[in-house]
Amino acid sequence: MDRARLMLLVVALAGAAALPWIGGPFWTGLATQMMIFGLLALSVDLLLGHAGLFSLTHASFFAVSAYTVAILQVRYGWPTLAAAPAGILLGTALAALFGISVRTRGVYFILITIALGYVVWGIAHRWSSFTGGDNGVTNVPFPAVGPLAVTSHTQYYYVVLAAVILCGLGYRVLIRSPFGLGLRGVKASETRMQSLGYRTGLHIYVAFVLSGALASFAGVLYVYYNKFVNPVAASFPVSVEAALMAIVGGTGTIVGPFLGAGVVLGLRNWVSSFVEMHHAIMGAVFIATVLWAPQGLVGIAARVRARLKGRDG
Amino acid sequence: MAEHALAVVNLGKLFGGLAAVDGVSLNVATGERRVLIGPNGAGKTTLFHCVTGTLKPSSGQVSLFGRDVTRLAEHRRTALGMGRTFQITNVFPDLTLGENLALAIVGTDRRKWVVHRPAETFEEVRRQALEGLARVGLEGRAQLPAKLVSYGERRQLELALALNTGPKVLFLDEPCAGLSPAERQRISQMIADLPRSMTLLMIEHDMDVALGLADRVTVLHRGRVILEGTPQEVRANPQVRDVYFGHA
Repeated sequence: MDRARLMLLVVALAGAAALPWIGGPFWTGLATQMMIFGLLALSVDLLLGHAGLFSLTHASFFAVSAYTVAILQVRYGWPTLAAAPAGILLGTALAALFGISVRTRGVYFILITIALGYVVWGIAHRWSSFTGGDNGVTNVPFPAVGPLAVTSHTQYYYVVLAAVILCGLGYRVLIRSPFGLGLRGVKASETRMQSLGYRTGLHIYVAFVLSGALASFAGVLYVYYNKFVNPVAASFPVSVEAALMAIVGGTGTIVGPFLGAGVVLGLRNWVSSFVEMHHAIMGAVFIATVLWAPQGLVGIAARVRARLKGRDG
Repeated sequence: MAEHALAVVNLGKLFGGLAAVDGVSLNVATGERRVLIGPNGAGKTTLFHCVTGTLKPSSGQVSLFGRDVTRLAEHRRTALGMGRTFQITNVFPDLTLGENLALAIVGTDRRKWVVHRPAETFEEVRRQALEGLARVGLEGRAQLPAKLVSYGERRQLELALALNTGPKVLFLDEPCAGLSPAERQRISQMIADLPRSMTLLMIEHDMDVALGLADRVTVLHRGRVILEGTPQEVRANPQVRDVYFGHA
């Protein structure tokens, strides 16, 4: 890593650590959401940016995990240490089931994932005796591990920050591993990968499950922040927005999905305070990204840097 | 009887009503260099696809070293020792040449499933990748993305990918397609220099290249084998001239 990037990283970390003092509760809350949804976007991007598959069902894993934690903690009094892993486990198990969709590619994959997503949303919405219907499950406490209990949103912000940093580091190893390289190979040419000895269907299936596990983890972080979960968490727009965040920020990168989450959540907060149609504006941002900056914000930054370097030389 | 590296029995492939490959039988001895020739549309590439597993044949049987592989998936055949190149260059444009080779090297072993360690920390793979690149004349290019090297170099990479899966039987689908005469010369020399223990099957349009490399030649026309013999026999055969140059 060169010095400029190291400096940037140190500044970003220092800024993140100091944010609750500088920004107060509003910005701390927004940053927490940005990290949680950035993590969801990152999980989507494992498939989108690396394997070339556009999944629109990731809200399912996110929501199933969030519901599991909420129900176990609120209704059955499970401790965090049991409820959170159970949430990840159930979300991942669902991903293992939905992973059969990787038998299809392209538009068919997109359509199947949309359908699967609606099934989960439908269950959350209609099976009200168990899921609480439109009200969902409320009064989820902050996480607590033994005597260590989170008592405020500021504290929870740091928990999420640490979790996201750990996930980012792990993700970085994963995408640079032989397995991650294999995903990029499948994205570029599945026929060649098969002739090189790869069982490409299984390779993508494993990626799908790993990606579902990460989305489930984001769901756990979400429910402890939000304090409740309702069918909105499982809804189609959440899946779309997660993909949107990855695309706006820059697919195939680690920072990109988080930047994209910042843009999408920031815009929604800011724009919706004076216009009602923030969805239309989000759509415009998305179209502009695809047309003029297909590499997203990270791509724009890289271009600017290349131009500056060119001017120096 | 010496065991055949490859035995194809009565293989057929239908596309709708068209028999692209129509009852082809082929025996290739271990260590033999066999060239397939035939005019455009003769079914050469389709035959390759069926033998290597890219396509499912409609009928017939394929055996590798006496083992029936007709129903095996392509990646399983690769694990058993089939390697192939593509007529239309099929490399990974966004990956560096080194990464391209790394994919080929770990593709046939368990290392492809490793998730907890960056690929570049596999010293063994790195070394083998550099050797593999040097072997096809791409030394010093390991860090370049494949999309930034010349077409000729991508053809060399195409060959290197196939060579690094550890093939016992190598299928080359027009390795010199689209190359200049000088580049053709280089690639054919590389192929000629491959170890004799490796069984070769090659599709080639250029008669001089084909007949220079081949131990034996199989001529395909309209999905059928019309002749099999030594290069001299094929060169002298009037039927082959007829097929290639048409009637007067």
